[in-house]
Amino acid sequence: MGVGRSVDADTRAAAQAAVAEAVVGTEPKLLVVFAAITHDGEALLAALEEAAPGVPVVGCSTHGEIGPGGPTDGGVVVTALGGPGFAVSTTVAENVSGRQRDAGAAVAGCVAEAGSRPYKALLMLTDGLVRDQESIVRGAYSVLGATVPLFGGAAADGWRMTGSYVLGGGRVHRDAVVGATIASEAPLAVAMRHGWRKVGEPMIVTSSGNGRVYTLDDRPALDVFLDRLGAPADAYTDPEAFKRFALPRPLGVQRRSGVEARNLSTEVDLEGRSIGGGVAIDHGGLTWAMDGDTDTILAATDAACQDALAGLGGRPPLGMLTLSCAALRAVLGDDGIQREGARLEKWAEGVPFAGFYTYGEIARVRGIDGFHNQTLVVLALS
Amino acid sequence: MNDSASLQIQQLVELLAVVSSLTDEASALQGAAERAAQALEAEVAVVVLGGRVKASIGFPLGAVPDEEVLAVARHERDKLDVPGLGVCAATAAAWAGTHPGHLVLARWADERFSVEERNLVRGMARVLELTLTMQRTLRAEHEMRERLEERQRLLEHLFDIQRAISRRRPLQQILETVTHAAQDLFGDEVVGLWLRDPADPGRAKLKAFEGLRGELAKRLPALAMADAGEAGEAMRLDAVVSRDGGVSAVLARRAGRPLHASLAAPVHDSGAVTGSLLVASGQPNRTYSAADEQMLQAFAEHVSLALTDANTVDRMYQAFHDSLTGLAGRSLFLERMTQQFASAHTDGEQVALLFVDLDLFKAVNDTLGHAAGDQVLMIAAERIKSQLRVGDLAGRFGGDEFAVMLSQVRGVAEAEGVAERICAALRLPMAVAGQQVAVDASIGVAIGAPGQTDPAALMRAADIAMYHAKRAGRGRHEVYAEAMALAFGPTTAA
Repeated sequence: MGVGRSVDADTRAAAQAAVAEAVVGTEPKLLVVFAAITHDGEALLAALEEAAPGVPVVGCSTHGEIGPGGPTDGGVVVTALGGPGFAVSTTVAENVSGRQRDAGAAVAGCVAEAGSRPYKALLMLTDGLVRDQESIVRGAYSVLGATVPLFGGAAADGWRMTGSYVLGGGRVHRDAVVGATIASEAPLAVAMRHGWRKVGEPMIVTSSGNGRVYTLDDRPALDVFLDRLGAPADAYTDPEAFKRFALPRPLGVQRRSGVEARNLSTEVDLEGRSIGGGVAIDHGGLTWAMDGDTDTILAATDAACQDALAGLGGRPPLGMLTLSCAALRAVLGDDGIQREGARLEKWAEGVPFAGFYTYGEIARVRGIDGFHNQTLVVLALS
Repeated sequence: MNDSASLQIQQLVELLAVVSSLTDEASALQGAAERAAQALEAEVAVVVLGGRVKASIGFPLGAVPDEEVLAVARHERDKLDVPGLGVCAATAAAWAGTHPGHLVLARWADERFSVEERNLVRGMARVLELTLTMQRTLRAEHEMRERLEERQRLLEHLFDIQRAISRRRPLQQILETVTHAAQDLFGDEVVGLWLRDPADPGRAKLKAFEGLRGELAKRLPALAMADAGEAGEAMRLDAVVSRDGGVSAVLARRAGRPLHASLAAPVHDSGAVTGSLLVASGQPNRTYSAADEQMLQAFAEHVSLALTDANTVDRMYQAFHDSLTGLAGRSLFLERMTQQFASAHTDGEQVALLFVDLDLFKAVNDTLGHAAGDQVLMIAAERIKSQLRVGDLAGRFGGDEFAVMLSQVRGVAEAEGVAERICAALRLPMAVAGQQVAVDASIGVAIGAPGQTDPAALMRAADIAMYHAKRAGRGRHEVYAEAMALAFGPTTAA
């Protein structure tokens, strides 16, 4: 595995530089590419084909790229997988909206095509503006069961919210999921952690649906949520102020093994006094307001890396894919993400790593769910 | 309440919400399995119903180890080997009732299920049982309501058909009403009504249909019973024939699709089997119930009713009409005249009778033959009819004798006008047997006197007038006058 990157604004030059750095062996089998939304997808694919003819490409647009040397904006980061120990297969499911589960199941179909090596993981990259991403992951799990770890993220578009893209099958796609099976002779391990703390007493979701929470404890969800966190006055009346306030304060949903973070900052309804983010929040669920800071988030970064590396069963890592949430940047700030990058670099101990800031993270570790918000997910390869 | 207890209640509520929001049982069971797995953060959940795995999550697609899962359900083992995880702790809870089942869960090796969790699984099984029972009850009620609605629609359709029969709508229209109604009620793609071919009663012909390609079906020739599939069989056996699979290819070809099931019921005319009504479906799992058989028989009996009625009408028509020209026969003509006299003559309107005798008809018969003679009579009948108004009546009394009743005339002149027009029409050449034939007519005209009630007297008067016309040189008309009767001797004419 090799990683290369470039912040050249010229797509062709950036792609060529990144590929040249990433392809260390003679037999690249897959390029995993994360690129800023400022890079045109078609031009990027053309440049990648020119730089590494015939090598399959999966990838997506980002809200910042992660790799050795620290996070960037406007860059291209390329991971090249190859060598005799690996086999890959890729696929694309299009027109995902409205049939998320079926699309997830279809993408899982590519696992069978990657041969019979003992260790496999399915990398899934989704269009970040598709709703109900949990169902995509559930669809894949319904086909694969627990046999294959699921890992990946939702493409981002630099907070423009006008459209992210995914790359696969030699084309640029929207409303799609691309999948890549990584099959290996050696262990692959997936881990996930978030750095949020519960604040105050729990709240019951008394009305929810369609990715929105209408009431908490039988009162308008917007007001209950802001009251609980002692929000400033303008967060109650100004959507931008609400978003600024809520982005670093996810809603925590109780699970058996802990609390899951849900980002509800993106779809506030000031008239109906409800909050939403396109992720399912179950009616009757137990929830908490949550907050966190750079230290708690960086502690989660450490824990996720440790968990993933420990999952390799003592074998030395060849590299890592590390996907972090776009919303975390609001908490960490520019300085914080540099510190996050440094932590990743420390855990990598000289092996290559690459990732991006996402609109949602995929890692099925426990149970049957695997779609997360405001979380760091790590895939370690050995 | 501590978090753990409230979390458990929350999980039960969520399970209830998920299962009851899914209306079909397969989705509800799958939803229940996944919700249970989520609640216990288990990687595997399976719902067993009636000793069979009905829903699962966590095993690769199509690779559920049924026997091992059932062994956990029976509490014979508490571990499951899950691909990707290895040996996992497993737990199960059962429910009884009319549809007993089990909820089986398995979780990663070092995570044994606690007492509270096993209790939660039992609670979930109970919720599942209650919800499934409720859904089945609701479904049964729904089905019963649907059956009642179907019954109502059947009655409405049968009423429409009965009304069409009683109003003597054209037979073809009635038969098409039946096939249309049968398709609406059965929801099947194809309906066909076969009747014996009058020219060859050993064969059956498709008379009305739904769901077949129109032109192909219309061109379908009369088929031997053995070739008419289930329709022919129902006719041969005089019984309802139901078939799952292997529906005759004759219909499938015309339907443009494979047909998988059919139901045919015989139809009768005056008690004898004369055809059959068939419904056929392209749905692979279509079967027909006893209720379906009854429904088709109800439609078939209405076809029988329509056929019997139409034939009765036909026979009655034949009894009262001249078979060659279709004009009223003597008895019908007299009956109609009596009715006309009975209805009051108002405003000076009278009944007039015209006796029409073709001149030189015998010569046509003798020279060109009877067939040509018959043709002349048919042409003459048409020409006479063409001169009449609504309410007037033409009849043929035999040979070359025709009669015309003008129901409401204002005096002799009007009746003479009609007589002249008839003479003129009959005088025009007729193309018969490749020749132009000319005939003429002598017409006697008689006007009914006010208060007259006996049609025979008027007929006699017109008859006498006609003879006078013939004697006066043919091709003309004469109006009856008393003097004519005197010339004929004693008479009862008015």
